[in-house]
Amino acid sequence: MPPALEAKSINKSFGSHRVLHDVSFAVQAGEVHALVGENGAGKSTLMNIIGGIHTRDAGELLLKGQAIDPADVWQARQLGISVVFQELSLTPNMTVAQNIFVRREPTKALGMIDWQRLNADAQALFEQIGVEISPTELVGNYSVGIQQIIEIAKAISFDAEVIIMDEPTSALSESEVDRLFGIIADLKAQGVAIVFISHKLGEVFRIADRISVLRDGEMVGVTKPADSSPDEIIRMMVGRSFDDLYPPKGVVGDEVILEVRELSHPPLFHDISFSLRKGEILGIAGLVGAGRTEVARAIFGADSYSSGSIALAGERLDIKSPREAIEKGIVYLTEDRKVMGLFLSMTMRENIVSAALGRFVGALGILRHKEIAAESGRAMQRNDIRPRDDLLSVNSLSGGNQQKSLLAKCLSANPKALLADEPTRGVDVGAKVKIHQALRDLANHGVGVIVISSELPEVLGLSDRVIVFREGRISAILAGDNISQAEVMRHAVQ
Amino acid sequence: MIKFPGLPDKSKSLLNDRSVILALLILVISIALSLLTPAFLSSRNLTFVVTGMTYDLLMALGMTVVLLLWGIDLSVGSVLGLTAVVTTMLLQDGAAIPLAIGLGLGVSALCGAINGFFVAYLKIAPFIVTLGMMSVARGIATVLTSGYFVSGLPDAYKAIGQGRLFNVPYMVYIALVAVVILALLLRNWRPLREAFYIGTNPEAARLTGIRVAMITMGGYIFCSLMAGSAAIFMTSRLSMGFFQFGLGAELKAIAAAVIGGASLRGGTGSVIGTTLAVFLLALINNGFVLLKGSPNAQNVIMGGILVVAIMIDAYRRRDRDEN
Repeated sequence: MPPALEAKSINKSFGSHRVLHDVSFAVQAGEVHALVGENGAGKSTLMNIIGGIHTRDAGELLLKGQAIDPADVWQARQLGISVVFQELSLTPNMTVAQNIFVRREPTKALGMIDWQRLNADAQALFEQIGVEISPTELVGNYSVGIQQIIEIAKAISFDAEVIIMDEPTSALSESEVDRLFGIIADLKAQGVAIVFISHKLGEVFRIADRISVLRDGEMVGVTKPADSSPDEIIRMMVGRSFDDLYPPKGVVGDEVILEVRELSHPPLFHDISFSLRKGEILGIAGLVGAGRTEVARAIFGADSYSSGSIALAGERLDIKSPREAIEKGIVYLTEDRKVMGLFLSMTMRENIVSAALGRFVGALGILRHKEIAAESGRAMQRNDIRPRDDLLSVNSLSGGNQQKSLLAKCLSANPKALLADEPTRGVDVGAKVKIHQALRDLANHGVGVIVISSELPEVLGLSDRVIVFREGRISAILAGDNISQAEVMRHAVQ
Repeated sequence: MIKFPGLPDKSKSLLNDRSVILALLILVISIALSLLTPAFLSSRNLTFVVTGMTYDLLMALGMTVVLLLWGIDLSVGSVLGLTAVVTTMLLQDGAAIPLAIGLGLGVSALCGAINGFFVAYLKIAPFIVTLGMMSVARGIATVLTSGYFVSGLPDAYKAIGQGRLFNVPYMVYIALVAVVILALLLRNWRPLREAFYIGTNPEAARLTGIRVAMITMGGYIFCSLMAGSAAIFMTSRLSMGFFQFGLGAELKAIAAAVIGGASLRGGTGSVIGTTLAVFLLALINNGFVLLKGSPNAQNVIMGGILVVAIMIDAYRRRDRDEN
């Protein structure tokens, strides 16, 4: 039997830059085939070609042995190939059901849309995959994690024979990942071919039947999880091995930098109390929607809170805006770099110094450009942002370098306490190691660092202590070298 | 690829590509007009063109700042009309010239502050807010004058618009000084640099600690003040005030700013580009008059140019966002 989907000798260049070189790839019906590789290795480009978003320069696409040539996403979906985008393709101002069935709305007489059936179909779809999401709610009112699940439901709703998931878990908490994997297992049993693109090797080894590795636009190899190991895959991905993803832990001082007391803002979070010490990395774990981001934003003055107190180095603060927080030395690294963090069409230099302009302003508010250029150059160097040209616009960078730019922006504001929300979301292994090291260096220089992460290994590997959130409350504060993932999960869900 | 505007760098030329294109267009049209009609190069005509474009220039500069902030101001023409009426009525009643000008500009600043307050603090779409102000300001100007001209202005006031140095009106020099100052500020002054961040991504700007609301409000006040200044020059030059002054000026200002490099989607804008675009539009208008085109068709051409400019903006934005 021919594979459900086969790509043969695909070539693709953007301008003079060759992104894919003779790449061949096949996925069988009822198979989960993982595609891994560093950012920029060509995974997304390959999937975009299969999904009809980009056109290939050379090569063949075969669906069950038949040559196909999808001209756009819509055609690809009609053929039975559905892509779940890394960048969400949902419209926030429309309801969940409207988003899922866009262009396929059931109609009554005269082409009027049958809203009842539309919502009922969406409801049935959610029941099928076992999630509770209201079809009539606006998509924008759901968190990024839930939106990801809606996106996946949309892909499933096309009765696709091939579903391509591009980093589907990057915004999901562990329990949501479990649920997704349950959905994937069901699809697999129904004979759907699934391409699973991920940076998270733990997940890849859990779910994949085969693993294909791309490096610099070439297919390095195909292997089965049983015949390989994460270390071997990393070696294949980067051409070298990483002995340790996490930097050694530092020495935590006794001095408290940030003290949060009984912070509440019902219904989002209640009675949040903790202290962050000088030189400490404090991890915050929990499910998406447990209130972690909301607490961080409240401390930063981005959102308000109803009661409680926040003190920085013993001084009680009454922060009403991010500007005041930054002036005091509290900086928040946002979980959503494209929407809330970076100025994508502006240069790296402008981005890096954006939160620190106050340091470079002379008489009458005139900026000192020489100092700005020097600061930006230092930050590029220190954070190893590439290419090393700070007059390039940020949207020309890879995800990993964008994330490093966001970190550089936060650091140039000279924080005393840094609240890093998903600091390594959607970045490759190499960038991840660099960002972890940068956070630890920061702590070693006496800054208090909070790391919110939905990746348990990251929280555990990086943090000196771990706070677990559950439904808007702190359910545990764990310390010591031997915190286990199972222990954290228990506190997160029970 | 390097996007303009970046923070200025010594290696970067003062002119961006668009300015070069606009300058070339101006050159081509000037040569064509001087070949087609000898009247074009007469000093009388050139002075006429340059003087006439002063009002448009001031308003287009203000519009550039508002567009940069991802806003729009449809009320500038009406604010010009209202300021013209208020200032000249005060003068007619015997108010001292500085007082009349001060109160006139105060009225325009108030219009801008109201626009800015609704947009920045109450988060109402700028299109709606300024559309309302457009109607309100013009309406007040109409009520105040009952539709009559306001004349009988003191000679000292008329001298502002009619006085000349080297046969060129003072106001042309003043407008050029405004261009230079604003160009420098847009490159080097912190609040205006921060305006680029606000226009590019307002939420990210807020989380970066930029005073989004305050700077946005300041932008609208500045824009209205530029319209008010144009009103002072216009009334003193024409020796009268009239409630219809500035009718349709918002379209010209938006067209010039967008042709000059501003985007309706915020985050870009260039003083030099806007200035050249105003000059280009003035030349096209002048050519139309000299070549005896129907004045009625002039609006058609202006509207057409505006649509083309916005189309170019849309394509440019697509390139920028697709990256």
